[in-house]
Amino acid sequence: MVERLASRAPFARADAALQRPRHRRPLPWGAILRHAVLLLFCGIVLFPLAWVVLLSVKSLPDAYTNRIWPSEFDFSHYRYAMTHISTLPRNVLNSIFVTSMTVALATVCAVLAGYALVHLDTPGRVVVFSLLVASMFFPTRITSLIAVYEIQKQLGFLNTTHGLIFPYVTLSLALSVFIMRGIFETIPRELADAARIDGCGPWRMLLQVMLPLVRNGIVVVIVVNFVTAWGEYLLATTLTNDQEVRTLPVVLAAASGGMGQWAWPRIAAVYVMAVAPALIAFAITQRWYMRGLQEGALKG
Amino acid sequence: MVVLARGRAGATARHWRESFMYRFVTSWPFLLPTIGFFVGWQLYPILRVLWMSFTDYYYLRVGEPVHWVGLANYREALADPLVRQGLLRALAFTAIFLPGMIVIPLVAAILIDRVRNQRLATIYRVILLIPAMIPGPLIFVLWKWMYSYTIGPINYVLVDVLHLFTIYNAPQWLGDPDLTFLAVAVMEWWWGLGYHTIFFLAGLATIPRELFEAARVDGASEWRMFWSVTLPRLRPILLVLVVLRFGTAMAVIDEYLIFGGFNRALPTYTWTVYMWDLAFQLGDWRQSYAAAVGWIGALLMLIVVAFLFWLFRPRD
Repeated sequence: MVERLASRAPFARADAALQRPRHRRPLPWGAILRHAVLLLFCGIVLFPLAWVVLLSVKSLPDAYTNRIWPSEFDFSHYRYAMTHISTLPRNVLNSIFVTSMTVALATVCAVLAGYALVHLDTPGRVVVFSLLVASMFFPTRITSLIAVYEIQKQLGFLNTTHGLIFPYVTLSLALSVFIMRGIFETIPRELADAARIDGCGPWRMLLQVMLPLVRNGIVVVIVVNFVTAWGEYLLATTLTNDQEVRTLPVVLAAASGGMGQWAWPRIAAVYVMAVAPALIAFAITQRWYMRGLQEGALKG
Repeated sequence: MVVLARGRAGATARHWRESFMYRFVTSWPFLLPTIGFFVGWQLYPILRVLWMSFTDYYYLRVGEPVHWVGLANYREALADPLVRQGLLRALAFTAIFLPGMIVIPLVAAILIDRVRNQRLATIYRVILLIPAMIPGPLIFVLWKWMYSYTIGPINYVLVDVLHLFTIYNAPQWLGDPDLTFLAVAVMEWWWGLGYHTIFFLAGLATIPRELFEAARVDGASEWRMFWSVTLPRLRPILLVLVVLRFGTAMAVIDEYLIFGGFNRALPTYTWTVYMWDLAFQLGDWRQSYAAAVGWIGALLMLIVVAFLFWLFRPRD
């Protein structure tokens, strides 16, 4: 595949095209093929999402004929799901609570740590950073699970919603610190030195000088932690038992389609409600997110 | 302490400002929250699990004394057919998943890199990145429905639109042991496509254009340039992605729990699921043995990661 596409690509390049006489310029097959493949990729990416959105607005008979485009639309499933599935509003609130707390804590941790690792003369920073990076190459989630259960039990956090926050913060913490460190490294050290000579303390330097400059990186960290916490499954299913304290994804994963309150379009409606916040947030922050990635979140 | 330092003479204050204690006191408060979470819910638990794996601890046998048993759990686990099978299954999935997870995004990145219309290139990137914004478990739930042979659109297309199969022989993507891993891998490719493409695009952007110009002047084909210019320059990114994805693939558990549950006949019953089963479900919750199973898997992964680092070592 690569070979075929790559070997045709020169025809599409402006410089190559200019070298040959204009009247003999062939059709830009390379470009056409390139866009065809990319459009195919986009189509494959969008199809499952389009399918589930359509499923959530199908009338019940349509949902069971499997036809992708419904003959009759029915938008009542959303209201039905929120009012008739007993614990659902509770699960949504649990998810919102756990996710927002996790994102806030993890972001603060990552910003402070990234700053200390780059712009403060922190003793032992190499050791701390190496440990964090090493943890990204180790199956920490699997190996720590049994003892995390024990810790949560000792703290009285088993089968509680708020207890989930603590293990959740650690899930993407190493990655978040790694990202923030990369972003802080793009800020010249001279700036920090100049501020320090002017008598600016470490806290004021962070809050007034640095914070506006790492804004895009913070967006990346928020998105990363949001995605991790909003959909977390393994810990939630291990550390909680009752449906009222569980988060949305665990309830969704346990629901198998059938009749009544769990009829397919109704589950699909729940699903769309679970995914929509993430996608809307991405649509809004997409510009900063992409910039943050380019600024250094991808470095290393 | 700071007040104390200010009260002293200038020279002493400067000395104090350069001292280890001063640096420690002014910088570690910034690290403390991260270290608190990291040690409390990651480092300590991992070491605690390591300790557990050398004992005969059962979670549900409350009040019974716990003994140090040395390597007995490890010896037992290495002889346990379920552990061996679980590790082999995880390796089999990794072998299916990893090549596609590297090659497909690399193709997408090279194609997008050549799109000259910047607006169009951004649109491609954003669309491909959409799945990366959906949390994993929600992806797995969606694809469980996609693969379902009652409601799933994949079999609907295969049976009712393309007529390639009938309802009697339509593929059972998640129920047929031969197809399960492929089905999971396709889902993972779908999920990771955009994210990995962005990684490769960042790598491609760092390659100086002059290298390609020079190669082209020398008459190198596109294919040759890919092997001699692009790929060597992407080696650091390739290493990071291969190692990270190897790690995720070997330690997959959420997908398997959602798709296969605890069905031992399905290939999704790998060492991770077995560990969970042992620790939180079977018998008296023999967490000591489960800990040993988990550490055997982790050590095996570390060995392979070390090998990968060696394989991708910088060569001149």
